[in-house]
Amino acid sequence: MLELGDLCRAAVEAARPGEAVEAFGQEARHTEVKARRGEVEGLTFSESRGIGVRLIAGGRVGFAWAADPSTDEVAATVARARENAALAEPDEFNALPDAASTEPIPALYRAEQADMALDRKVGLALDLERRATSTDPRVTNCDDVVYGDSVSRVAIASTAGVDAGYERTDTWCVVVALAVEGDETQTGFSYRIGRELGELAWEEVADEAVRRAAAMLGATKPASQKVPVVLDPFAGSSFLGVLGGALSAEAVQKGRSLFAERVGEEVGSAAFTLIDDGRELAGPAAAPFDDEGAPTGRTELITAGTLNGFLHNSYTARRGGTISTGNASRGGYRTSPGVGTTNFYVAPGHLSPAELLAKAEGGVLINDVSGVHSGANPISGTFSVGATGWRIGPGGEVGEPLREMTIGSTIPEMLAAVAAVGNDLRFFSSTGVPTILIGEMTVAGV
Amino acid sequence: MLDRELVHKVLSAARRRGGAFAELFVEERASTSIRLDDGKIEELTTGLDRGAGVRVGEGTTYGYAYSNRLDGDALLRAAEAAAAAFKGAAASVVDLREVAPRVVHRAERPAADVAASEKVAWLREVDDAARSFSPEVRQVVGSYGDSVQRVLIAASDGRWVEEERPRIRLYATVVASRDGNIQTGMHGPAGLGGVELFDRKPPRQTAEIAAKRAVTMLDSVPAPAGEMAAVLAPGCGGVLFHEAVGHPLEADIVDKEASVYRGRLGETLASTLVNGVDDATIVNAWGSFSFDDEGSSSERTELFRDGVLSGWMYDRLRAGKDGVPSSGNGRRQSYASPPIPRMTNTYILNGTSKPADVIASTERGVYVTALAGGQVNPATGDFVFGCSEAFLIEGGRVTTPVRGANLIGQAIPVMSAVDAVADDFDTWEGVCGKDGQSVPVGSGSPTLRISRITVGGTGA
Repeated sequence: MLELGDLCRAAVEAARPGEAVEAFGQEARHTEVKARRGEVEGLTFSESRGIGVRLIAGGRVGFAWAADPSTDEVAATVARARENAALAEPDEFNALPDAASTEPIPALYRAEQADMALDRKVGLALDLERRATSTDPRVTNCDDVVYGDSVSRVAIASTAGVDAGYERTDTWCVVVALAVEGDETQTGFSYRIGRELGELAWEEVADEAVRRAAAMLGATKPASQKVPVVLDPFAGSSFLGVLGGALSAEAVQKGRSLFAERVGEEVGSAAFTLIDDGRELAGPAAAPFDDEGAPTGRTELITAGTLNGFLHNSYTARRGGTISTGNASRGGYRTSPGVGTTNFYVAPGHLSPAELLAKAEGGVLINDVSGVHSGANPISGTFSVGATGWRIGPGGEVGEPLREMTIGSTIPEMLAAVAAVGNDLRFFSSTGVPTILIGEMTVAGV
Repeated sequence: MLDRELVHKVLSAARRRGGAFAELFVEERASTSIRLDDGKIEELTTGLDRGAGVRVGEGTTYGYAYSNRLDGDALLRAAEAAAAAFKGAAASVVDLREVAPRVVHRAERPAADVAASEKVAWLREVDDAARSFSPEVRQVVGSYGDSVQRVLIAASDGRWVEEERPRIRLYATVVASRDGNIQTGMHGPAGLGGVELFDRKPPRQTAEIAAKRAVTMLDSVPAPAGEMAAVLAPGCGGVLFHEAVGHPLEADIVDKEASVYRGRLGETLASTLVNGVDDATIVNAWGSFSFDDEGSSSERTELFRDGVLSGWMYDRLRAGKDGVPSSGNGRRQSYASPPIPRMTNTYILNGTSKPADVIASTERGVYVTALAGGQVNPATGDFVFGCSEAFLIEGGRVTTPVRGANLIGQAIPVMSAVDAVADDFDTWEGVCGKDGQSVPVGSGSPTLRISRITVGGTGA
């Protein structure tokens, strides 16, 4: 079996004169343990690899991919990419990025994690489930308890001289707790991501899921009103995905971004600073280079409310007359590189969550929003999403739970209404958000 | 795809440490996708995927392992890994026998036989038709995709099934703008079969429907917030039924005590006007198949009869635990995931009202003609749906379009508040996500009315 880098290089060698060829390879070993009622419910293991080939000829681009190809199949994949390119339209900005020197990030790979015995992983899943079901009498069952990890490797090679690779380990654990009282059931969700099992702080995951489920018991539907809203980090992170899409240069260049033509203008309140940092180790998306081999870096997209620019891959940079920000992104070897966020986060402020709540008396603390993917329009910026949370009482005390509400606004109005940002930045997957106080939003209920 | 002797050997290895059954799922999938954006054919992609998953199961415990490789060594290694979830004595494998399908879904004109240049031409038609629809159309994205998934499923109870599932889809997204107001319209017919889909649903028509939605929404006002009636156009009610009712009727969710319907079979939990089914046997429907991904024959499962809860959707594991046959709802995204209970084509059946009468008898409410998608918490029944195209109903007439509307509620009260079901059934083809796995699903319903539901919006 060829090593992943050799597989990529074999694809590049199949290039014909005048063709630019890039191969992106990925391989992963993955383990997942699910626990339920004190026992292992499911064990999943996998080993997978594949390559994606991008071929450019005469400004036309074609793409083809194959799962675990043999050497012959690599050549066939390049041939299919060639056929596909012939049918695409030429675009003067289609080109492969030149090789650039990249700084390795050795901390992404933990040898101890890569070699860890299954018993320890099973033990963690069982411990996690036991703790989640034994701290509150109303939580004796969980919807989901998962420990997962992967050891993966990425390699890229191209006719433009790119030849790079890195390895990484990732671990995660998830608890969805069920709190039951009488006829009522509420769910509470928590998870953590780390580079090794020891980093997971799994006790907090269990406790947080239980706390969030139990605190929703007795929730009622509020009256429709305009009130101050506090988004906890779980809720806030749901909105970041919409912002990430709108801040990609691809969306801007294709006329699909509400931020087009607004560089240098105020697009949010002075309390709001938004960063993408592909080298930030606190976030799980850290990597030495992006999905076309360009070095990753830090991009301050919005500084104290002012829009500085957009996220670029090599194509959008060439088209926009700028340089790549290292944000080429693929959903694995099966897709060609688009533009995506890396570690995408709201810069923390100085106030604690309690201090923010004290400023929002009579408002609502939102702990979960649903339907963002369908309820928010990244082009117009209008959204209306389902939400649950609590009323904020006198002095910022968290009051009775609320459900079946919707909050609606537009992204520009919401960003302008950010009154303060908390000091509790937390990464959820690759998005990071502290608690955020929004001046006023429409909360719809009865 | 694999010879019987090897499959038998792999299943035997998987049963080395016991378990009630062992199963092998082998898959090959060839896919093509083409994207038109900004007036240009931007990219064509072809993919070849292949892999196999081995599962050992008992009660609701399972071991699962998969590999990209189909050689004997890799499959036996996967079998060993899957067996690690059990600690019992070795069990045997019944002689494998091919099971004949009861329903077959064929492509009349397979997409694989059509030249890529013809597929490219469909997308150009989409671009042209959308832009000709109105000068306010600013941007068009057309995407075309086809795939052929070949599966072989064999299990220790002797079942051996093979199936070829050809799928095809064309999707148009149109952006229109006027004075800085930007709106989007989408439409995407899909089918299990071949390019004959476009005889019934031509690319040009798809583009025009999407363009009309975008342009219509330019006239929209912010949606009202509060409780009111909602009339759902044909197909839309099916999407709501899928999310709010269908998911909590999936047997894994019921088993985890995370369903609002748990323990309530035989109770009236919807309006007596509601008759709902999940049906994978409909020939060439988007969510259909001959066998589910565990090798069980496709079925029609009654979920609600005259408002009475009448069935669950089962996979093998949960059916085994409850001592009933699987309802043929065990599905998976690919060899990379173990199967779980999933919906297929989930429909609310026709009633007897006339759609025009349903609207005419609505004093105030919203008329929803396109849903953007939705989400449900099966444990609480809470759901939310974004409406991508909706209108106000005032005095029995459909009036102004509204934007930013969503519907929010709880499954049981909302389904109980259905007070009219018309006779104009239609379908909607979508992709459903659950536990990180996406599968094609059909939804369907006639026009129906919910007498009271919370509408979330930003307007007065």
